[in-house]
Amino acid sequence: MKGSLKRELWVVGIFALAGLVVLPLLNTLAPVGSALHVSTFTLSVYGKYLCYAVLAMGVNLLWGQTGILSLGQCLFFALGGYALGMHLMLLIGKLGQYHADIPDFMVFLEFPKRYPATGGLPSHWIPFRNLAFALGAVVIVPAAVAAAFGWLAFRSRIKGVYFSILSQALTYAATLLFFRNDFTFGGNNGLTDFKFLLGQDLNAPSTKRSLFIASVLLLLGTYALCRWLTSTKFGLIQRAIRDSENRVLFSGYATADFKLFIFVLAAIISGLGGALYVPQVGIINPSEMGPDKSLEAVVWCAVGGRGSLIGPILGAISCNALKSYATHAFAEQWPYFLGGLFIFVTLFLPEGLVGLPARFARLRRRLKPPSAPTP
Amino acid sequence: MHNDAKVGTYIFSFIGCQSCGPLRFLQPFPTPGPSRLRYAPGSLARTLFRFLRAAAFLAAFAGILARADAPARARLVRAILSEDVTEQVTLVRELTGTDDPLVVQGLAAWRSGSLFLYPGPDGAAGQPFLSDGSVDPAGKAGATRIADGEPVRDATGTAVRFSAGELTAADTSSKLRKAIKVVLDLRAVEDPEARVRRDAVVKLGQEQESEYLPHFEQRLSVETVPGIRRVLMEAIALTQLSEADPKVRLGAVRRLVEIRSISSLEPLRQLSRKLQGGNEGDLLRAIQAAVKEIEEYQARANLYGTAFRGLSLAAVLLVAALGLAITFGLMGVINMAHGEIIMIGAYTAYGVQNIFRDAFGATGTGFETYFLVALPASFATAGLVGLLLEQGIIRFLYRRPLESMLATWGVSLVLQQVFRHVFGAANVQVNSPHWLSGSFEVSDVLLAYNRLFVIGFAVFIVVLTWLLMTRTSLGLQIRAVMQNRAMASAVGVRTERVNMMTFAFGSGLAGMAGACLSQIGNVGPGLGQNYVVDCFMIVVLGGVGSLPGTVSASLGVGVTDQILQPWLGAVMGKITVLAAIILFLQWRPAGIFASRGRGLEG
Amino acid sequence: MKSFNLRTLSPLLLALGLGLARAADTVKVGVLHSLSGTMAISETSLKDILLFTFDEVNKSGGVKVAGKNYMIEPVIVDPASNWPLFAEKAEELLVKDKVSVVFGCWTSVSRKSVLPVFERNNGLLFYPVQYEGEELSKNIFYTAEAVNQQAIPAVDYMLAEGKKKFYLLGSDYVYPRTTNKILKQYLKSKGIPDSDIEEIYTPFGHTDYQTIVASIKGFAAGGKSCVISTLNGDTNVPFFKEFANAGLTSENCPVVSFSISEDEFRGLPAKELAGHLGCWTYFMSLKTPENAKFVADFQTWLKAPKVTGIDYTVSGVDTKGRVTCSPMNLSRIGVHLWKQAVEKAGSFDVDKVREALIGQKFKGPAGEVTMQANHHLINNAFIGETLPTGQFKIIKTMKGVAGEPFSSKFLGTN
Repeated sequence: MKGSLKRELWVVGIFALAGLVVLPLLNTLAPVGSALHVSTFTLSVYGKYLCYAVLAMGVNLLWGQTGILSLGQCLFFALGGYALGMHLMLLIGKLGQYHADIPDFMVFLEFPKRYPATGGLPSHWIPFRNLAFALGAVVIVPAAVAAAFGWLAFRSRIKGVYFSILSQALTYAATLLFFRNDFTFGGNNGLTDFKFLLGQDLNAPSTKRSLFIASVLLLLGTYALCRWLTSTKFGLIQRAIRDSENRVLFSGYATADFKLFIFVLAAIISGLGGALYVPQVGIINPSEMGPDKSLEAVVWCAVGGRGSLIGPILGAISCNALKSYATHAFAEQWPYFLGGLFIFVTLFLPEGLVGLPARFARLRRRLKPPSAPTP
Repeated sequence: MHNDAKVGTYIFSFIGCQSCGPLRFLQPFPTPGPSRLRYAPGSLARTLFRFLRAAAFLAAFAGILARADAPARARLVRAILSEDVTEQVTLVRELTGTDDPLVVQGLAAWRSGSLFLYPGPDGAAGQPFLSDGSVDPAGKAGATRIADGEPVRDATGTAVRFSAGELTAADTSSKLRKAIKVVLDLRAVEDPEARVRRDAVVKLGQEQESEYLPHFEQRLSVETVPGIRRVLMEAIALTQLSEADPKVRLGAVRRLVEIRSISSLEPLRQLSRKLQGGNEGDLLRAIQAAVKEIEEYQARANLYGTAFRGLSLAAVLLVAALGLAITFGLMGVINMAHGEIIMIGAYTAYGVQNIFRDAFGATGTGFETYFLVALPASFATAGLVGLLLEQGIIRFLYRRPLESMLATWGVSLVLQQVFRHVFGAANVQVNSPHWLSGSFEVSDVLLAYNRLFVIGFAVFIVVLTWLLMTRTSLGLQIRAVMQNRAMASAVGVRTERVNMMTFAFGSGLAGMAGACLSQIGNVGPGLGQNYVVDCFMIVVLGGVGSLPGTVSASLGVGVTDQILQPWLGAVMGKITVLAAIILFLQWRPAGIFASRGRGLEG
Repeated sequence: MKSFNLRTLSPLLLALGLGLARAADTVKVGVLHSLSGTMAISETSLKDILLFTFDEVNKSGGVKVAGKNYMIEPVIVDPASNWPLFAEKAEELLVKDKVSVVFGCWTSVSRKSVLPVFERNNGLLFYPVQYEGEELSKNIFYTAEAVNQQAIPAVDYMLAEGKKKFYLLGSDYVYPRTTNKILKQYLKSKGIPDSDIEEIYTPFGHTDYQTIVASIKGFAAGGKSCVISTLNGDTNVPFFKEFANAGLTSENCPVVSFSISEDEFRGLPAKELAGHLGCWTYFMSLKTPENAKFVADFQTWLKAPKVTGIDYTVSGVDTKGRVTCSPMNLSRIGVHLWKQAVEKAGSFDVDKVREALIGQKFKGPAGEVTMQANHHLINNAFIGETLPTGQFKIIKTMKGVAGEPFSSKFLGTN
């Protein structure tokens, strides 16, 4: 146990070094065109994977550590994204198609007629001009939605697959709601064409690099938090709930409160991931909270290895890197690869990718005895 | 050969028609691929010819009663050849009342674009003609001249045969088509087919033209079908509303109330607006009372309509979810490929349809029965796929139900792509058999045949499943394995075989659902994705593992959705239903009928 | 054996035809259409027609720049109906593959997603699908129909037919909502009161049209009504089945659909749609020599799909029952306009090509088109009546309609 933890910390250390120092340096210092150069494009694609990894950590905190399978985790991811996206939208200023003070979609959907008092900006948009408020919303909005939903669900002891389907219903309903133009968040087109963040040009390589580094930091922070949690008594109860909730309940613990806390925490983590995701991909729209996206995040976790802490990170990065590669190299056949991979992993690698070393070790042990006696 | 400029209203484009003699031979145009030729236009041409042949028979029959009307025929020919729209319209109007079947047929063909011109010798006008419906093995038909009903002959005197799919018809303009329509509608009021009469009367009644009145009244005096008598009275009353005499109008209003004419609401409201502040107080009050009464009637009809629509949506949901209620509800397999199994059933129906079309042509009893074969075929195909899925993947995962979700999700990705590659990414065309199209009305509540069929089918498969579960030894074994696998195994039940059979049965049900849904919605690689979320919701809401639960959940969701839709619209309606499900489960956290199933409580 | 022959022969023929064999010169061109996921249903056909057009261009000697003949080499990616992936793939095409131009996108949201990428990297995108307008990027050329080239002519036609009541039905997303908003303004300006316009939306993937059809039946009971449908491809089947079963026909209530072209028709029940209307800037049934050639060439190509002149294996082309339609035609026109502009500019440089594109003319299957300074085409618009064969009978032609993305301009409001 100790050995594996040590190995894990080594991996994380190398990851941190690569993400915080090596890649950004190779991006800035190595000359363009040289073999060592890491393009800004690559950097921002990896930044996107890292945000997915944060989302996967959120899923894992619930599923792998507490045994609650949420099929609606992307709702919180997208809510975090929307919160920051609104701020970015308002920073575009007069650079839009209509050179108006309000975002483009508000102009052609005639918001000035609907909200004449504010020049077309719906009142709930106004505070998002302030970055601090937007960042607050990134945390508070997913947390509040999770708290309300979790309180309802855990209080009445909705469990197992009922909870999963219910969370799916929630995210599905939210998708439909956000699709509506009347809901004032840009409808199906969502929020896009961002220009600035913190006074920096969002398209500049330096900004992209900073966002990448921020993603690494967020992921490391999330990892540290989860690692710390597992070492506390809280983490112990968490795992006990996963293994037998009834026994924990009978031992006098209010499991609903524990679960609610974890659910809210996971929502905040996902929301933060979403907030960093949006400026890097440049768009947030309702399909990001569709039921299929949440399912995908669960699949990353399983592929990487749920239950372990680096499994989800590994799963999210490898699944998405594979998808990026295959949609270019095998544009027509890639669903076969990805689908096949999921089937393979479930059947033959129940512990996921993180279980691979142990599996190899076992295989080696099994192969060794017959070869040992021969001199 | 002939002169385009003189007869500007036609274009011929024959492909590969070597025996066409003097007919113009143009560049091959929309050249479909080989298979398309086999599937679509070939069969469509056949359909067209069958239709025309039927029409010809009818015409011949009518011909015994009605004599050929030579001046009318000449007038029609003149109209077709004329290049002045106003003259064309006048000539067509003059054809009102003619009984000559050839003229009527010619008008209809002209309007629908199946009237063609045979080019005359240089400079001379062409001869308008119709297909005579006699199709030879080469797929060519004879041509009947409008002028005298004789076959069209070429310069050598041989009768010309042509191939319809490749003809382009004489042009019309919208004004002209409207004029033709009025003539035809007025004639259709006397049509032997009840449905045709009915449609014509409804349409003409809405025009509120007093010149149609004599036609309606004459028909009413001989009409025997009650439904048509009703629309005739409605049409007469509607038309009388626009008369000047207040007494006539008052009578019309009374009659509209008597027959509870919903379609008169709009004209009545308009009239009442017009009369506002005028000096015809009695009439105005009568109209206002009438509007109120008819509105009340309409509200009642809507209520029944909503009930039926709710029932029918519930049936669709039930049919789609029942298979999942077995595989997920009873067996605990979170089968994300359920939607794709439904899709397999739908594509099977498509395949069976194509086989029947190739064997029997696109019309006729042979083709009509395809759906009856498609249902068991899709059960078998989907069942087989389910069996393979169970044997290949799922049986290794019974102890890890959540991971069955992962693997089946992979299966669903792969299956979608397989179908995309085999059948193309586009949707495929599944035509409903005649007995599943259309609807009938019971006091203004519309009952569509396909909807009625789905309701009946839902009842059928629920009963079937119930019988299987409670009356057969397989059912007994299934229940035994689901309740306590170890004990069942100990008393000699071959649990693995039972698992396999159960999963195959559940998948088979999903396959039949696919065949059923192909009659209502689209069939494409994404078909399953449209239903899978709803299916899981239904099974969970009903209570995992409970058949009565699945039935009541689909009823609840279906009816609620249809009640909410008219108020909130489809989108907000759906959101509200989802919110209601979330809240409902607060109250009953394990669904409507909570029951125990394997692997879900652990 | 056959393919062996073709593959060995075609470069030979090419070399003979051109008199110079410089197979080495290629130009990379990106194809950005979803081949999996929800949009694959529509976009796959556009990928096919693009490959066909590349083959067509290469066969005629490729793109001629500075005395050299460049063969088009497609780079196909699958953004999988995933909008952020669209942005990633677009950037990959521009930055990694260094393509000279990209043809792609179907939904507006995918275009919105890639727009900043093209502006940032100064790329060039051709967008071929009818859309709601209200956008103009210097890096995008919209061969697509703008609202005033499709919706407005269709409504004009309905008004001329004497329709007085309009039921605007759409899927709940930006294109239908924006189009309907514009149409409502337009109808109002034509004297149709609000009470005679109904506006209804359904969710994506909606399969139950009972209530809506019942309400249309009530709406149309008084006659002189029509439905203007902006339902997206997939939901049209359940809608039209329900519509036909309720006894509604093109006689008592015609439907004008903006999203049904010949290609969508392949998956629709033909008999339920006969007589309803469509409005596009191209129909397969157009009788022009250019169209006859286009249709015939495409059918021939489908028998052995390949891209002449380069080593490229074409896969995943559905060969059964294929048709051509407006988005396909506009995709092809985009390629030809780009080729002409490159040749005029004498360079693949985006800035030079962009300049050369303005005013570029191409005699396409539906008549001549001209690229305007607003990056939209002047094109002919047609109204067609659907036939049971899955084709459209053209019943009205509007010549030279200039595409205008901003509704405030063509509605005269501001």
